[in-house]
Amino acid sequence: MPPDKRKGLWVDLGTMPYKPAFDIQTALYAECIDGDLPTIVIVQENNPVFTIGRTGSRSNILATEKELQELGIEVIDVNRGGDVTFHAPGQIIVSPLIFLGDIDQNANQYFHRLEDVQILVLDRYGIKSGKKEGYPGAWCGAEKIGSVGIAVRHGYTCHGFSLNVNPDLHPFGLINPCGVNQMPVTSMKKMLDREIPGEQVRKTIRDVMGDVFGFEFQTITLADVLGMLKDPSPLALTQKPFVK
Amino acid sequence: MDYDIVVPSTADGALQVTMVSWIRKPGDSVEMGQDLAEASTEKITLYITAPVTGTVKNITVDEGEKADVGDVVGTMSDGKEE
Repeated sequence: MPPDKRKGLWVDLGTMPYKPAFDIQTALYAECIDGDLPTIVIVQENNPVFTIGRTGSRSNILATEKELQELGIEVIDVNRGGDVTFHAPGQIIVSPLIFLGDIDQNANQYFHRLEDVQILVLDRYGIKSGKKEGYPGAWCGAEKIGSVGIAVRHGYTCHGFSLNVNPDLHPFGLINPCGVNQMPVTSMKKMLDREIPGEQVRKTIRDVMGDVFGFEFQTITLADVLGMLKDPSPLALTQKPFVK
Repeated sequence: MDYDIVVPSTADGALQVTMVSWIRKPGDSVEMGQDLAEASTEKITLYITAPVTGTVKNITVDEGEKADVGDVVGTMSDGKEE
């Protein structure tokens, strides 16, 4: 008999702007640290946005303010590690809020397990990928297909990884992704030369996450999430600033 | 009594971090568990939190400088006699 899996929650926010999605993550993260919530994995896609991590610099955004406005791309500073990256519809972002003690890993080990998750997910679609020494993430040869960036407080993780399923890759040309000059990027669509339904990839990620970290996930809705928060009002979610 | 502020052991012992920012400065009052500083590897942000309720006494690793996991990067005092 395999050992019983730990219970975790799985919430899919759909597609929404980065800021409200981050507010939800921040609120849930605080309550996880307080011990009021179990492990939660947040899945989302974001409207086009460049996020700059804690070791990043705006100088790695090559586009002008005017170009960014015309393209409708936001720029936001965030508290994950790393430099600049691009998020957009078609790129799945997975943010596990996990207590590292529950999975008996330190931050560095956990970080590399997230890379493993991406590689295993891609493998299920016949896409061969791997790690690259000194360049975190999942790589298909010289092209990056998945990024990882996390933050840890009191042993609890937030942020996570993003996987390019079928996003518009052109805006990556407007930044030095992760601070690397003209780093080539790719997507599952580009590798397979066909569309992969995002919903299918989400299910695969959930399966692989469950296997890699030993969790059995229960799906909850955004309404369930709001019901879990002590004070959801600051999130202003009643205005539903997102689309599913 | 004084307490060491250390880079948390949630990362490999060999991992080196850069002190990104001190959220609290010497003289600031802090409750146990509150954020004191952010340290970062290339891709991992680690929050350094207060080991005790009290006052930040000094900072020994400044912003931009490097430290190893487990290193003492400052001191707090709880204001009580030892």
